[in-house]
Amino acid sequence: MTWRSGLIDRRGFLRAAGVAFAATLSPRSLMALERADAVYASGFRAADGSFGIATVSERGEIVDRMPLPARAHGMAYSPVSRRAVAFARRPGTFAMAFQPNRSGDPVMITAPDGRHFYGHGAFSPDGHFLYTSENDFDGNRGMIGVYDANDDFARIGEFDALGIGTHDMTVSDDGRTLVVANGGIETHPDFGRTKLNLDRMEPSLVLLDARDGQLIQKHTLPATLRQLSTRHLAIGDKGKIWFAGQWEGARNALPPLVGRVSPGDDIGFVSLPERITDGLANYVGAIAVNRRDGIVGLTSPKGGLAVSLDARTGAVLREERIPDAAGVAPAGHGIAVSSYDGRFNQTRSGVAWDQHIIRLQ
Amino acid sequence: MLNILRAAGLAVLFATAPAFAQEETLRPEIPADAEIRTVIAKAVDDFIRPGYRDFHAAAGALAGEMDALCAAPSPDALAQAKAAFAEAALSWARVEIVRTGPAIEDNRFERILFYPDRKSTGLKQVQALLAKPDDSTTAPGGLSGKSVAMQGFGALEFVLAGTGSEALATEADGFRCRYGRAIAQNIEHIAGELVVLWEAPDGVQQAWKEPGPGNPLFRNTQEAMTALLGVLVHGAEMVRDQRIETFYKGEDSQTFPRQALFWRSGNTWTMVEGNLEGLGRLMHVSDMAALLSEDQTSIIGSVDFVLKSMLRVTGEMNSDIEAAVSDDSQRQKLDFLLVNGRDLIGRLNDQYGGAIGLTSGFSFSDGD
Repeated sequence: MTWRSGLIDRRGFLRAAGVAFAATLSPRSLMALERADAVYASGFRAADGSFGIATVSERGEIVDRMPLPARAHGMAYSPVSRRAVAFARRPGTFAMAFQPNRSGDPVMITAPDGRHFYGHGAFSPDGHFLYTSENDFDGNRGMIGVYDANDDFARIGEFDALGIGTHDMTVSDDGRTLVVANGGIETHPDFGRTKLNLDRMEPSLVLLDARDGQLIQKHTLPATLRQLSTRHLAIGDKGKIWFAGQWEGARNALPPLVGRVSPGDDIGFVSLPERITDGLANYVGAIAVNRRDGIVGLTSPKGGLAVSLDARTGAVLREERIPDAAGVAPAGHGIAVSSYDGRFNQTRSGVAWDQHIIRLQ
Repeated sequence: MLNILRAAGLAVLFATAPAFAQEETLRPEIPADAEIRTVIAKAVDDFIRPGYRDFHAAAGALAGEMDALCAAPSPDALAQAKAAFAEAALSWARVEIVRTGPAIEDNRFERILFYPDRKSTGLKQVQALLAKPDDSTTAPGGLSGKSVAMQGFGALEFVLAGTGSEALATEADGFRCRYGRAIAQNIEHIAGELVVLWEAPDGVQQAWKEPGPGNPLFRNTQEAMTALLGVLVHGAEMVRDQRIETFYKGEDSQTFPRQALFWRSGNTWTMVEGNLEGLGRLMHVSDMAALLSEDQTSIIGSVDFVLKSMLRVTGEMNSDIEAAVSDDSQRQKLDFLLVNGRDLIGRLNDQYGGAIGLTSGFSFSDGD
């Protein structure tokens, strides 16, 4: 999850989008946008099986759609350049950069030979660089690709993610640190999404210097939690890094699924009530932080549950049964939630929302 | 909901109460627990367990033929060993689609068959071993500690059909034959482990049949059914993506006939046939149609039609893969298999999964 800046209201989005964009919208979409307090984007699968990205109002109404050649997963957004990027679901090899207001042509980014995207990435705060999580599949190591957004997203380098099965990644508010979730699971495109090393996983959280990829900090998990795949990230207040995991061990175990770490500190896990861990089915699919409200949102499609935590204490503030709960993002108030079966906040649409939502700004 | 919460002075934590439908789609009800349990039990008792038992028997027969070949080499004994290899591979292909549970523990899957092997790791290791024999590989149990690429069907295929294999028909108890016998015995041993693990009444079969809070695999029947559907969907993906696209990606793409599984022995299509038969058999013996409402049962018929069409065309394929990818009519058949393979995945993934109320067709919650 890559949201890390202030919220945008609909006037802000409309102003940024421009009159030309508004003129392309249907009356219903324009009405949806006009009454929205916030705007999001998410990947989806349409009823006809095609894939795309949609911009969505705070109520969950689809404002605009853009087709994609295949299924997307996570997204990145730069409020400075107002460009978004949708990353192919692993082991996909494309990422599409576009402007949600449809000004300018989309740019298709292709992973280099020997690499595929892992489905996540993030912009530097100034929007100049795009960092992407990638798999060097023959080398069996996670990589961070570096692309120049000011040069048609030309690939200008890469850093070793210092782990395997890299999944989510994000950038600190000051742009100096790359935060990387190495899920620890080996995959290879020859075997699709098959997990090849569940009996010898190596999950870790890694902090890299954004300038040169040098290691700042690496956190491995204790031996008892080596089957906890650290997969998703969100940056909270004061640079606190929240992470969420997916447990690959016994289904009747109750491992900690959520943790946090501040730069320079050791990782700590949030002690969730057994009821919540059980409800999350040992599988957190997405995590987001609403800094203004001090809330952390979690979803589990497997457990059909959305949970919000107090970002200060980790206490459970609310839980809601949402079948196939998918994406989370900071809402104007609280947390926006989508689902595979078409629900996005108060609205149900005839699409399957993908696993992640991004707040646009 | 917002107004109610605000009026109540409560923080708004989620904004999800469905109040508005842009394009309403009704989600089918998930079948009752008892119905799913019945399907799962049939899948376990009538497909998975007999599948492994058959594989174990075929692997035992293969080991026997290898033993006979080593003791009394002859062209006929070599032909018998090759036939037993094809039978055992076919038997594995039928149950290979069960890529879950004991099969993927302790590297069993890769030890039985290390494929794809784009860098020819297995070939290089086997060739090196044959060039410089190491008797520790042929000692009882000696293979289990070696590279997985040297332990299974891929290695045995080279022994039986690769360069120099003709010597097997004349040389008694030579290293090549003893290595081949050790591989066959290793496969038989792994197959035996799979049988034991699946036959144990309180083991993995119970975990599949009795989902619940204390279950180490599935907390509820929905999770178990998602896993069963995953066997079909991922099996169909394997046929298309790993067994055909590895050497033929479509009309305008370069071909790689020597990347095809078992191209040396002419068993490429044997494996595809076994995989497709396994998919159809699993679907039928578990009676997955029973979970569909009456107006949806045609989904099974359409899956069946696609499977039969693919099996028919598979039977028309040239076992010489080099020749197949160079021949227009064969390439048309390959295109047919790719197109129908995609269709098969969609019918299982989206149509069947959707019809029983699972969104597993969209995501198997496998790391998204």
